[in-house]
Amino acid sequence: MSNVTWVRRRRAIGRFWADFRTHRAGVVGLVILAVAVVLALLAPLFIDASVTNVVSGTGAKMAPPSLDDPLGTDESGRSVLLMIWWGSRTSLLIGFLAALLSMVIGTVLGIAAGHFRGRIGAVILRVTDWFLVLPSLVTALVLAAILGGSTATIIVAIGVTSWPSTARLIRAQTLAVEARPYIERSLALGAGHWHITTRHVLPNVAPLLLASTTLEVASAIVTESTLAFLGVSANKTSWGTMLRGSYDWGAATAGAWWYILVPGLCIVTVVMAFTLCGRALETVLNPRLRTRAHA
Amino acid sequence: MRKLLAVLAALCVLAAVPGTAMAAEPAPKKVIKIGVTQSVDSMNPFLAVRLVTGSIQRMIYGFLTVPDSKTLQPSPDLAESWTTSPDGLTWTFKIRQAKWSDGQPITAADAAWTFNKMMTDDDAKTGNGPAVENFASVTANGQELTIKLKAPQASMLDNPVPIMPKHVWEKIPKIGDYEAEVYPTVGSGPYVAVEHKKDQFVRLEANPDYWRGRPKIDELQIIFYDNPAASIVGLKKGDIDLIGRLNPSDFESLKSDQNIVQWNTQGRRATYLQINHGATTSDNKPIGDGHPALKDPKVRTALHYAIDKQKLVDEVQGGLAKPADGSIIPPLYKDFFWEASGAEKISFDLAKANKILDDAGYKKGADGVRTMPDGSRKLQFRFSIHTDTPVEEKLAEYLTGWFKELGVTLTTKRLDSSKFSEETGTTALFDIAISGWSVNPDPEEVLGTHLCSRRPTASGDGGGTESFYCDPTYESLYLEQQKELDRGKRAETIKKMEERLYTDAPVIALYYPNDLEGYRKDRIASITPIPEDKGLLYGGSGYWPFYTLEAVSKDGASADGGGSNAGVIAGVAGGVVVLALAGFFVLRRRSGAADERE
Repeated sequence: MSNVTWVRRRRAIGRFWADFRTHRAGVVGLVILAVAVVLALLAPLFIDASVTNVVSGTGAKMAPPSLDDPLGTDESGRSVLLMIWWGSRTSLLIGFLAALLSMVIGTVLGIAAGHFRGRIGAVILRVTDWFLVLPSLVTALVLAAILGGSTATIIVAIGVTSWPSTARLIRAQTLAVEARPYIERSLALGAGHWHITTRHVLPNVAPLLLASTTLEVASAIVTESTLAFLGVSANKTSWGTMLRGSYDWGAATAGAWWYILVPGLCIVTVVMAFTLCGRALETVLNPRLRTRAHA
Repeated sequence: MRKLLAVLAALCVLAAVPGTAMAAEPAPKKVIKIGVTQSVDSMNPFLAVRLVTGSIQRMIYGFLTVPDSKTLQPSPDLAESWTTSPDGLTWTFKIRQAKWSDGQPITAADAAWTFNKMMTDDDAKTGNGPAVENFASVTANGQELTIKLKAPQASMLDNPVPIMPKHVWEKIPKIGDYEAEVYPTVGSGPYVAVEHKKDQFVRLEANPDYWRGRPKIDELQIIFYDNPAASIVGLKKGDIDLIGRLNPSDFESLKSDQNIVQWNTQGRRATYLQINHGATTSDNKPIGDGHPALKDPKVRTALHYAIDKQKLVDEVQGGLAKPADGSIIPPLYKDFFWEASGAEKISFDLAKANKILDDAGYKKGADGVRTMPDGSRKLQFRFSIHTDTPVEEKLAEYLTGWFKELGVTLTTKRLDSSKFSEETGTTALFDIAISGWSVNPDPEEVLGTHLCSRRPTASGDGGGTESFYCDPTYESLYLEQQKELDRGKRAETIKKMEERLYTDAPVIALYYPNDLEGYRKDRIASITPIPEDKGLLYGGSGYWPFYTLEAVSKDGASADGGGSNAGVIAGVAGGVVVLALAGFFVLRRRSGAADERE
């Protein structure tokens, strides 16, 4: 049995990859992401947190790009290149974990809302709606301010404000899956809530979830940068705090374009890569989008 | 149609009239506009507490004495001369023969009424209450004012209370509810307030009867800006002529403008770290959650050694400050300024700082962080700063960097200003906090912020402490300087107090920020700072800068001013014509449509 399942799954993955490869933009996004993640993971082998320490910033202040500092320096003489490299760890970590948190909350509540259609479903749905209309950036700002500045609190602040759209999406998919006849058959055979939601619903919403999470990471990175720019950060260098620094210390009036452009472009590139990947995944996994794309 | 033409013509004439009127007037008013980023809280001096309001009061009302423009020592203002009884308890002031701006004579009864009002009416204490705390009685006899004190007080001649006209103010039933929005105000200073629009501006006119003589300009306007960046733009555009209290980056941005003079002199402020060295309430009960290691003076001294003040000045203040080798009184006040020297002087030395902690038994763990000698807690401190203050953020980054090399972890805690004041001034929920104080010519106020009696009560009332400090040596020195009427001897005692604060380190002075201001030289011909030698303009002690201020004479600037005026008038007239024509066509079309409908 399991053997058969595995063969089937491997074949499905093979089919999926063959399909994904045809989306050139998606592949480009994936490559960029892979490079960014590998660089972030390898960073501790070459540099450490001291590159973000003002005390060890030895270069000139706001120096333009040179051989010593290929991307120039900031207001305290720290190398922008090294800060970007080290800061990518914070930005990506917060992006991934916040998206993960938001996905977990969204999936659990979404499936629950779709599966229990009575009073429980209605309550969950109202709560979701309530979170959906909250201005998420403001809520995240307030949450982060109350919880204090650390990586965990920023992740929580982003995660708990961005799950409602995932929950809505998953609920819709759950409803569609549960309308299929085999769910009824399964029920007739005596399957409980747990069996149906984990064995039948979850595997069927998983592909959609993957695509949605990929897009969610992109928006979490943007939110992290926004929060950092507005002054709520994890006390660690990230691309957002660098942008904030360039604004605070008048990089624009000093003509230090490298200090503004580099973190900004990094955010744009990574967010773009996630979006390209996510869109490609959506197209591959959603048959309706695919037929439209081919037609 | 003919009617419309007539209206149009009338409008044009109206637009042109101010122009002709202006041209006819021989000497246009000399108006100087000062930009400020704080708005006036109350025009009633008994209630006002804000700095901007204090500055305006100095221009409208006389005081017993003012700081001398050269030496900053007390010099005669409304009080012509004064004598003190041998025991220092009775002060007699001779009030100057001068007139209020409404023509009534100024007498000692005015001053006596002002002080008595503050002593008897709690509402009237809001503004300057502490100034009369030590007064036993105040009586007047003609031009002679007699103040009897409960205890000798050396700072008597730095009395911050503006003298109010009794004949105007005694009619007010309840001082606490009175906003004093009656113009022109009756005062005895160089200017008279003639208009105040809340959160917008205050307009002052020269007082022709001022006893020193009329100011050289006709009108002084104080214009409020919500946003410092907007005020900088205002100065560059010429909406305002002078702005004070700039931060280093705004100051730098004025560099490129040829019409603006960058004013960069020593300031009256000290920036320091406040250290929670075991905070207690006024009944000596522990309060707050300060780290126990900071109770140890050795740890505080080690931290002091680990701060490179010159680097902070260069990096955090853009070089526009002076590193502090003294305490809370900046070098602007030469008489009272104390600076460490010799073996006592603490200069940046990480090796020495590490050695002090090693010797005191704070051992480094495997992670490089030190622990208490008994191993109970790691040396992890919080550093409280305000939200949205880049300068404090940067300061925090540097301290974190240096302390890390000391085996001390510092984490930054950002608080909005009301929470910040509460945690660092009342509830003591901090380890190390940023702080600062603008010092008056008489330093008694700032010295008083480190007294035992200033600590809050258990219920969180009272206070005003800047350190939760309570030290017997400091207390006795404070009492000594308070009684000492000889300025030189008093200064010596005050220096000992500063030395005590330096070596015991409940506060660690970091630097003295420069006074950064900017003014337009195409509007202001000359302005005398206070003190005259490298002093302050706005925010200085006394009205001197704005009394001596001279506007650029219109001969030189008339081409400019007149030209732009003419341009404005032409523009307005043009605009009116266009509007009138547009209105005419709209009206016609409407009436046309109405015709059709009928």
